[in-house]
Parts: sequence; structure tokens; C-alpha cells
Amino acid sequence: MGLKIIKKILSGNQAISIGAYKGNARFGSGYPGTPSSEILEHFKNYPNVTAQWAPNEKAGFEAALGASIAGTRSFATMKHVGLNVAADPLMTSSYTGVNASFVVVTADDPGMHSSQNEQDNRRYAKFAKVPLIEPSDPFEAMAFMQYAFIVSEKFDTPVIVRSTTRISHSLGVVQFDPRTLDNEQNLKLQKDFRKYVMIPANAISRHKVVLDRLEKLRVFTNETPINKVEKGKTSFGIITSSMAYNYVKELLPDAHVFKVGFSYPMPVEKIREFISKLDRIVVVEELEPFMEEELKIAGLNVEGKKYFPYDGEFNLDIVEEGLKKAGLIKEKTTKVVFSELKLPKRPPALCPGCPHRPIFDILHSLGKDIFITGDIGCYTLGCLPPLSAMHTTVCMGASISMGVGASKAQSEQKVVAVIGDSTFFHTGIQPLIDAYVNNANMTIIILDNRITAMTGGQPDPGSGFTLKNKQVKPIRIYDLVKSIGIERVYEIDQYNYENTKKLLKDEINKPGLSVIIPTRPCVLAPRKIKDTPLVVVSDKCVDCKRCLRIACPAIDFKNNKAIINEMLCTGCEVCMHVCPVEGAIIKKEEK
Amino acid sequence: MNINSVLFVGVGGDGIITASNVVAYACMFAGFDVKKSEIHGMSQRGGSVSASVRYGDKVYSPTDKIGSVRFMLATEKVEMLRWAQYLNKNSVVVVNDRIVPIIGQTIEEDKIDEMVENIGVEKLIKRRFVDDANNLGNSRLSNTIMLGLLSNFMDIDEKYFVDAIDQILPDKLRTINQTAFSYGSRLSEEYA
Repeated sequence: MGLKIIKKILSGNQAISIGAYKGNARFGSGYPGTPSSEILEHFKNYPNVTAQWAPNEKAGFEAALGASIAGTRSFATMKHVGLNVAADPLMTSSYTGVNASFVVVTADDPGMHSSQNEQDNRRYAKFAKVPLIEPSDPFEAMAFMQYAFIVSEKFDTPVIVRSTTRISHSLGVVQFDPRTLDNEQNLKLQKDFRKYVMIPANAISRHKVVLDRLEKLRVFTNETPINKVEKGKTSFGIITSSMAYNYVKELLPDAHVFKVGFSYPMPVEKIREFISKLDRIVVVEELEPFMEEELKIAGLNVEGKKYFPYDGEFNLDIVEEGLKKAGLIKEKTTKVVFSELKLPKRPPALCPGCPHRPIFDILHSLGKDIFITGDIGCYTLGCLPPLSAMHTTVCMGASISMGVGASKAQSEQKVVAVIGDSTFFHTGIQPLIDAYVNNANMTIIILDNRITAMTGGQPDPGSGFTLKNKQVKPIRIYDLVKSIGIERVYEIDQYNYENTKKLLKDEINKPGLSVIIPTRPCVLAPRKIKDTPLVVVSDKCVDCKRCLRIACPAIDFKNNKAIINEMLCTGCEVCMHVCPVEGAIIKKEEK
Repeated sequence: MNINSVLFVGVGGDGIITASNVVAYACMFAGFDVKKSEIHGMSQRGGSVSASVRYGDKVYSPTDKIGSVRFMLATEKVEMLRWAQYLNKNSVVVVNDRIVPIIGQTIEEDKIDEMVENIGVEKLIKRRFVDDANNLGNSRLSNTIMLGLLSNFMDIDEKYFVDAIDQILPDKLRTINQTAFSYGSRLSEEYA
């Protein structure tokens, strides 16, 4: 067979999916989350693979683990905070080990481009005592992902592959032969009571297996070619991994560099040898001092975080600053020519026509005596002015449960929880049961746009189709909520502004628990919705700026009159409903 | 290390990702190593968007250093200014003469124009590319026209851009974008 090399520019996420396929993975599961979502979206296009969204990361992780024990190489994808949700099976799957390879992809978000925290998931590898592999660019993302499947079966362990936003969403030149796959092992489903049933008696002996495996991995990490020395000409050396490696190579092209690709367990012996010939060693790593701590525990004399920040995403400027502080660079190579200008910020906003808009406008207008617990999704933007209608956002599903606590702790403020459909299916159902069984005095609004919108429009159990675009019967949230036993449950079309306002006001003021489900679909996915746009009858506009308070990107104000951008307007009519002047905003053709 | 870069800036929905992909492929076809960065997520909801294409013999970092960007393509004037610190005196900037409103804020276009024009780069081309695009019959062709114009300042042969457009764009959009690209390329005579 001759080689058939393909040369493409690929994102880190595309590359990870290619690596998974070449590593013979035939099962992939996970929950969408920036920056990880595109991995499964690419993987699903391969022939003869199962690729599916799970309702949450724990379910996705466990499905992949089950596939592994059943003899199919599998992987699960998630964003960094998703691994918190899947931490429970992670910790114990370390004990069970795998049958066919099983790889967990975590995509961290240094700099919090689209996340609520910037936790460093390398810590999870040490916590669970499983190997950690970190690529630094799209080519490595493909190659290391494929390699992770070899490591997993060789050592009978789940393997964590850690990407970051800048790796997942950067593109680079990748060359590969799509036909060179790993050899198939033809593994069969494995029934092994001692290995897969973690009752204490079995877990006690499996923990010893884990510790023994860790010792073998400590040897292997010094042998693997993905931990390597790149010789330079300097008297000092740099130890680095992941994205930080690229900044170091560009800023210090002549330095001795130890590039870590297999970062847990750390290749201590190989680094000891690297260090022995050099004057000084500086560790350059984004976020936590993970490698630095491991090396210091091993008694190695290294420096690191005293020159570099613990928070935020690295870039060439930040790393250069750190290297200068460390005395490894004398002067910065580029000057600041133009200082940063004072400009109005451009925060993200709910799309024109977004069905969340009227809900937050109504909640805002209902006054200051409401405490609104929010959740994770596009609708978190409801916290920003001028809508300003959200008082907490912590993690997926927390809106309802935090609302339960807030409603029990005081009675001055009415409690309203706001959660989206995908987040409700993710981790909102148990909190809803909590609210019911503990008789919480609150109103729960489940914004059912029938898609996971924030991450780019992935289907959820209410969408009616799957990742592979197969039609399925959607779960109707109304029926699910009713089946628990909650009596006051309402579906409403929120574009019908007045009715929605009346329902919200009545239900918030009534004692007891109620659930309101606004049902308008997302305007972007699965298909773009555009109705006849609206126009402002300029003579009738009284310059009250009420329409600006709904924060619609299609509405602008010029010369004391509102104007509507026809291109952007979807015709949702929310502005028309809030406008106090009859006939000042009308459908375009009526003009 | 000799690395050049093209920084694309604009507002979510402006077509930054597609335009930057075309340049990335053109650079690869011309024999360069290429890295590109882009940020998804919140920026899709009408926020600031940027993408960076860096090319050279060997490229490590996908993102730029302050004061080091040679070429900028800005689809909007406020966003051009927001990223100005990445430019230097030798930069070439092609900016679409338009402002996308920001919710709840009044932008004084005169002031913005004054800031844009006083930026002090080697070459600043500010033009209503939207009008050019409308002349070609499709308002969404602005970016391709701008690319055609910018390509004349880059050390990448036009044929690689032609190939890149064929590679990136779907069949039905290829011909019209090739037309827009050569339209833009010819505009450079006005700005020589």
C-alpha cells in the first residue's frame, strides 16, 4: 500500500477527531462545551462510528467507559468544568481500568473566553492517578490523541488528553495518511467481577493495582518519545508544555528546551539528566505550577511561577515579560508604538429576535423584589445591563437548587430560577425534584428553545434529532415536569408579550412552586428564523428610549429617533410590544 | 525568525473566520508554514472577533505580539482601533468604512474617523467596500474585495489566493468570490 498523504490546515479539535479515528476509536460521547464541542461534530462524519451527545458529561463519560469494557475503543469529550461533572466516574474508572482503550479529552479555557472559571485540569490526572498527555498544536493533537489509545491499552488505564482553547481553536498545517490505523485488537466484551465491580473488597485490591500501574508509568514517562529534549546553545534550560512551548520556541529559538508531552507522571529522571548539564532551569507553564511542583517534590532545583502569572491565558507578550523578569531575555523585541485606545466596549448580546429577550425584559420590569438565580447558556447574558435580570450564575443546573435554598432562607424577596432546556436536561432535573419534594416557594422558568445554543446549536433531548442527524421523538419538558407531580406548569409563547408578563407576574406573586416553559425556538439553530422586519415611523417616535432597554442589536438611535436595521431584524415584535406609542413601530409592508 | 502576520478584526457575524481561512490556505499553498488562531464562543453573539494568520518558514505561536502585525484587515472601524496596539509604523491596514452600533452607546463617527486617519501606519486604506460589494451585486462580498486589495501588499502570489478560494468556499460562491477578489486586486492601482 503506497502512502496517501493529505496536507490540510486543521483546527486542534478537527485534529483530535482524526487522531481518535486513526487510534481506532469507534465510540465517542460527551456534552457540548466551548472549546471542546467540535471534536464529536467532526468525529460523527466517519463511517462505522457511534458518535452521540449525552445529556451531561457524567453520562457521556460512563457511556464511553461502558463501550470500552464491551470491547470498543472509546473516548469522551468535554470542557474543563465538564470534567467536574464526570469526576465521579473518573476517580473510580482509574480503579477498574479499561478493556479496549478509553481516552478522556478535557479542553481547558485559560483566559475564560467562554467559561465561569479557569481551573487547570492537569490536577485531575494526579488526583485520579491516570496518565496525562498534552499536545501543543494541531499536528500533535492528532498524533498524541492516536498515541493515547496505545497508552490506554498498554497500561490498562483511562488516559486524559488535555487541550486548551488556543489549541482546540487554533489551526495549523497537518499532514497525515488517513488509512494508517492502529491494529485492531478484536477485543470482546469482558465480564470480570474482580475488575469492574467496585465493592470495597474488590476496590481495595484494585487500588494496589493502580499504585503498581503508577510506578510503571513513572518509568514509561522517561522513555516515551513525546517527552523530549530540544538541544540549544544557552547555559540555561526551559521546561515547558502545551501552548506555552510555542511562545518559548519563538522567543528563545536558541534555548535548550525540555518539551513535556506526557506530563503525568512527570519524566523526572529524564529531566534530572537534562538539568545536570545546565546552570539554571525555568519552568514555563500556563495557569497552575503543576510541573514545577512535581519537579520540586522530586528535589530538583527549578524556578517557575515566581516569574509568570498564575491566572489568565499566556501569549508572546506575557511570556516575554516573564522571561525578562527571570533574566533570560534582556530587552523586549518589539516596542509598543500605539498605546491602547479608549473605546466603547462591545460585549456579546442576545441575538435580534432571541426568544430569551422578552423574559428578561419582563423580569427586569417586575421590580426589585425578585431574586433571580441564573444558569449557564446564552441567557446568562440576561445579567448584563440594560436587562440586568440575573443575580447568580455558578455552574450548570445551579439556578434551581440555589433558588431552593434562597427561598427557604428568607421571604422578603420572591425567588425566580431561570434555566435553559439543555442545561435543564444536563443537571436541572434533580434540582427540580429537590424543589418539589422540599416544597420550595419559587417560580422556575425553563427557557425551552430546543437546542444547545451557546455552543453553536447542538441537539439536546428536546430537539427531536441526534448528533448524527437522526430524527427521534423529542422529550417534552412540560410532560416531564408534570410527571413529577408539580401542578402549576405552563407552556407559553413569549412573543405574546402581554400574556407572558401577566402569567409571570401572577405566578411569581402566588405562594408555592410553579414552572413556566416559554417555548419559542432559537432564531439561529437548527435553522435561521427571519420574519418580516419592523420599521419605526419616525414622526411617531417620542424619544423615550424604551426600546433600547430590551438590548436588541437591530435597534439603534440616531438624531433622537429609533431606527431598526432591516437586515438584522427578525420581526419578533418585542420592541413593538414595549413601545408606549401605538403605531410607532410597525411591520415593514404596512408603511 | 521571519514571520509575517495578517490580523483580521471585526464583529461577530462579519465573516472573519472564512476570510482568514482563505489567507491561511493561500500561505500554505505558497509553501509557508502557517498557524491561525480564532476565538469562538461568546464572540459569536455580536461581540468583538479576531483571527490571526501567521506565516513563515516555521511558525510556533498562533497569536501575535503587540506592535508586530504587518497586515490588518478590519471589517469595522471601532474594531480596527481596538486592535491598533498590535500595529506598527510599517503596517498596512485595509478597513471597511463602516461602524456597527453598540447597544446602549452612542458612537461619534467623526471622532472615530479622526482616530482612524491619524493612526500613522505605512499604508491605511479606508473605503466603503460595502458599496463596491453592492456594485458587484452582493453586499457580503466586501471581505473578498478587501482581501484582493490586501493581497497586493503581501509576498504571496495571486494564484495561491485563487486556489485558496476554490478550496474554502462552496461551489455556488466560488465564481462570484473570484470576481470580487480580482476586483479588489485591481483597486490597488488606486492606492499604489
